[in-house]
Amino acid sequence: MDYARPELIDALAAQHAAGTLRGGARRRYEALLPSHPALRAAHVRWQERLMPLAASLPPQAPPHRVWQRIEARLWPAAADTPLPWWQRLAAWRGLTALATAASVALAVIVAQPERVQPPVVVVLQGTGGAAQGVNTFVASVSGDGRALVTRPLLPVSVEADRVLELWSVPPDGAPRSLGLISSAGATVIARDRLPATLLKGGTAALAVSLEPPGGSPTGAPTGPVLYAGKLQL
Amino acid sequence: MADALDAQWNERNRELGALLARTALGDRGAFARLYERSSSHLFAVVLRIQRDRAVAEDLLQDIYVSVWKAAGGFDAARSQPMTWLASIARNRAIDSLRRAQTQPMLLSTTRDDDDGPDAIDRQPDDSPGPLELLDRACDARELQRCMEGLTRAQRQCVALAFYDGLSHAEVAEHLHEPLGTVKSWLRRALLALKTCLDGALARDAAAMGS
Repeated sequence: MDYARPELIDALAAQHAAGTLRGGARRRYEALLPSHPALRAAHVRWQERLMPLAASLPPQAPPHRVWQRIEARLWPAAADTPLPWWQRLAAWRGLTALATAASVALAVIVAQPERVQPPVVVVLQGTGGAAQGVNTFVASVSGDGRALVTRPLLPVSVEADRVLELWSVPPDGAPRSLGLISSAGATVIARDRLPATLLKGGTAALAVSLEPPGGSPTGAPTGPVLYAGKLQL
Repeated sequence: MADALDAQWNERNRELGALLARTALGDRGAFARLYERSSSHLFAVVLRIQRDRAVAEDLLQDIYVSVWKAAGGFDAARSQPMTWLASIARNRAIDSLRRAQTQPMLLSTTRDDDDGPDAIDRQPDDSPGPLELLDRACDARELQRCMEGLTRAQRQCVALAFYDGLSHAEVAEHLHEPLGTVKSWLRRALLALKTCLDGALARDAAAMGS
């Protein structure tokens, strides 16, 4: 099949969405998808066109054991529901791997035997009301307070000569810049920019402001604050 | 009715989008909620194509393990969350049929036109037929108008392929039509849908621009 011809690409994506692309053709299609931008674009468009049909199927609640097995597979050590021994094989394997990793890690972190804390997630709501729509930013802080990732729920449209800047807002005193963040995708904030007290009461809220290129020239937010969310520990 | 369903669909997508974004950041609680809010829909999609409940349960497991691992690849700018989730579920279900077909025991799908099992025989009695599902889906979407532009045979092809996961050959067998005819019906149906839906999109865009 000649994957360079646009009408063929479109026909293949259509058949894939309808479900009739089968066998070798289907395998080739799926293998090519990640590395073929035109095919991927056609693929997404066809999925969007046809997939709303699935909404009309009457929902069927799966039995609870499905969720238990998902948890057991993703987090073998955390599964507290008893399973038949043959399903615990995976858990055993996971535990063995974990034990090996742990014995290596132990040598390194023996001085700080703190348990791994779950990440803290902050939802930054839009402050502009209806005009801004219902978009939100999500910021996730790792349990140890040493990594922060932000991501808009939907891409935010920002004028070409404006950027978004993330701020740590202390309980009292001036906000501190954590750096510029992407308006379209995930941004990982450099560890050295995070205040050491981020999860220890030093930050009451996170906020996103609109700034000139390069960020605020004054060290304090100069543009409007578009998104803000409280840090709840 | 259509507006209410549309609103419901949009609301659900907004909620699932937020949960997916948090799942991508490793939030297990959000993932659990995502499962709670979407699993009965995905199970319906899978079960419709893969009728063996035990196999369907295993597939649902695989699907959510993939969702957890791939949530970071979900692009809210290009896909609706429900579309993204349902397409993962459909792919897995269709792939499972392909694997089942390679097993000798199940190769006995009849070639007989008279008394072979067909798609309708495979429906449990209380589950809606493919055309009925199509009508329901269309209540809520622009698709309705576009589907109405198709012939009944074209509509039936789309419904059998989409809902029941039938291949070209199986659709042909079910409708007692030659394979070539069915292929061309489906090809034309998809082309017509595309033209119609894209036309509607273009009109919406023009209306917003004016």
